Amino acid sequence: MDFTLSAEQLMIKDSVTRFTAEPPKGDPWPTFAELGWLALGAPEDLGGFGGPLETMILMEAFGKGLVTAPYVAQVVLAGSILRLAERTDLLEALVDGNARFAVAYEEPHARHDPARVATIAMCQGDGYVLGGSKVRVLGASSAASLIVSARLDTHDGEIGLFSVPASAPGVEIHELASEDGHDVAAVGLDNVRVTAIDYLTANGLPILEHALDIATAALCAEAVGIMSVLHDVTLDYLKHRTQFGVAIGSFQALQHRMAEMFTELELARSMSYVAAMTVADGGEGRTRAISGAKIQIARSGRFIGQNAIQLHGAIGMTEEYKIGHYFKRMTTLERLLGDSDFHLARFVASERTPQRTPVTA
Amino acid sequence: MDLAFTPEERAFRDDARRFIAEHLPGDVRAKVQANESLEKDDFARWHAVLYKHGWAAPNWPSQFGGPGWNAVQRHIFSEELAYGWAPRLPPFGLVMVAPIIMEFGNDAQRARYLPKILSGEEWWCQGYSETGAGSDLAALDTRAERDGDHYVVNGTKTWITFAHYADWIFVLVRTNQQAKKQEGISFILVDMKTPGVTVRPIVTIDGGKEINEVIFENARVPIENRVGDEGAGWTYAKFLLEHERTGTAGVARCRQQLVQLKERLASDGIDDERILDRMALVEIELDALAYTELRTLAAESAGARPGPESSILKIKGTQIQQALTELALDAAGPYADQLAANAYFNYRKTSIYAGSNEIQKTIIAKRILKL
Repeated sequence: MDFTLSAEQLMIKDSVTRFTAEPPKGDPWPTFAELGWLALGAPEDLGGFGGPLETMILMEAFGKGLVTAPYVAQVVLAGSILRLAERTDLLEALVDGNARFAVAYEEPHARHDPARVATIAMCQGDGYVLGGSKVRVLGASSAASLIVSARLDTHDGEIGLFSVPASAPGVEIHELASEDGHDVAAVGLDNVRVTAIDYLTANGLPILEHALDIATAALCAEAVGIMSVLHDVTLDYLKHRTQFGVAIGSFQALQHRMAEMFTELELARSMSYVAAMTVADGGEGRTRAISGAKIQIARSGRFIGQNAIQLHGAIGMTEEYKIGHYFKRMTTLERLLGDSDFHLARFVASERTPQRTPVTA
Repeated sequence: MDLAFTPEERAFRDDARRFIAEHLPGDVRAKVQANESLEKDDFARWHAVLYKHGWAAPNWPSQFGGPGWNAVQRHIFSEELAYGWAPRLPPFGLVMVAPIIMEFGNDAQRARYLPKILSGEEWWCQGYSETGAGSDLAALDTRAERDGDHYVVNGTKTWITFAHYADWIFVLVRTNQQAKKQEGISFILVDMKTPGVTVRPIVTIDGGKEINEVIFENARVPIENRVGDEGAGWTYAKFLLEHERTGTAGVARCRQQLVQLKERLASDGIDDERILDRMALVEIELDALAYTELRTLAAESAGARPGPESSILKIKGTQIQQALTELALDAAGPYADQLAANAYFNYRKTSIYAGSNEIQKTIIAKRILKL
């Protein structure tokens, strides 16, 4: 049992802290490639290194720095899918920074469930024709390809995964406004023709679920970074803001609230560690650990976020003050890759049914 | 970073598990499983078994007859005690007064008291709270006045668990009326058979008869029964409170309660989603607490002393224990009074004792957050 960081992990922490202190102007992707962050979790023969623990360190710092680049979507989630589907060719392009993938799995009526797929893929000749619509596709506008889940008319209606060029005829990307400034889009697929080479796997659901768990662990780490800023800034405010002639942090009502925020932060941090270590192990209990972590983090994050605003008073409500921006991102994270209701149902069900294991990895 | 225990630690766990399974008296296990209150004899028999094996005092260093375990081993052992349905031995002698005697007592006191605490021959209780001194413990006014080579003790201590079983009581008394309130306090050891010491039982809302009042009326206590310096008792008490909070999280015991609750629901054919959801939420928080405890433990193994972070464990641990008794109460439906009410009422104490949860929040605010 050991919660200390290795020398390599400390180096990552160091370089990401420098990055967030002075982020490059414009597209950060070349910097990501240069620093090796696009290779995190990839196999070593592709130049990859590290895994979920290193991703956790990176993402916690991204949370603290409120980085909006679609790293989780395009590297952690898309990269994990390509690795689990054994598409070395595409993964290599991702690691090199030559290709960027967004993942279009969520649907309007699916309530976060990746298994509820209405998009269909009809076999035609040596390719497929896709039809359907996807929501909340992260990083779509900067992606060259979309990894799309669709129900196959062959294979007993199994869920297949396809890599679809964003520029293919019939693909419509509608960028949407987002509260947290992240790139999010709805995607329409109208008779989109894809070739056999774009067909990744017929074993889409277990791969998607596994990759979503890895990505959820990364989001948990981002959330911990955000919560730690909300906590620290609020604590600092309590020490410096004076009313009635004293620092407001001398009032017991506020002291106890702050102590509760501290407690929630520590619980959330523990669960972020567990999430990362569980997906790193690839071992048993993955579903339970990840859904448990996501719920704890959503609950802690909501408590810390709401109280950070409350303890700041009116200044916390303003656009110009930073606390509100962290609160907004935390609010999005609560519902990203499954909200608490979805994960609670999954947590309860994980005790009744053994989880589906992917064929690879 | 690595969550796993080492092979040595896993082997240690296996040994502990096997020993507890083989040696814990069956009737005692059954009582713990049924959440029934235990008699002195139940504790004593289990204490004797552990003592014979050298495991009665996991937190004691080997020079005083402890097993010399590190923080991780102690943690594993306490988990296995819970998983094996062993009772938690009363902490007043082994966990509370013994470390104070070791740290602040003299050689004669160590030789006189420690062996009998370890063997279980002498039972202890804790004389801290008074009617007017609960959370504000330093406001205590039980007086000890010098008369030759004795203190004459007058006052009333309250909420004393197992005073009716105890041979000895450690007491915080005021030895100087003029000093600032924390500085006039001393720590003394009193034989319960001393003339002028009376025990009066207090029945709790769950029908329990565990706690008592202990009344001192001109009880004469030899000066040599004072531990450490006169007027330094408050420092020793704070040292003790910090020890008391570690291990109050009770994660393994909560897991056992949860398993029991799930089994009961399953055997009664109850699959109400609302109960299952609520149970899952408690379980998740328990996981978060368990790993937070492991983080504290890892820090302790690396040399850190248990600090104010243990307040988090106390607050969350007791909240979860209480939440589980609430769930059991609701899940029992029409049989709530018969199956679950006693535990529910009894567990209200957990957020009050060992420094109320509100006091713990103040400790976090002041000592960690520096507010």
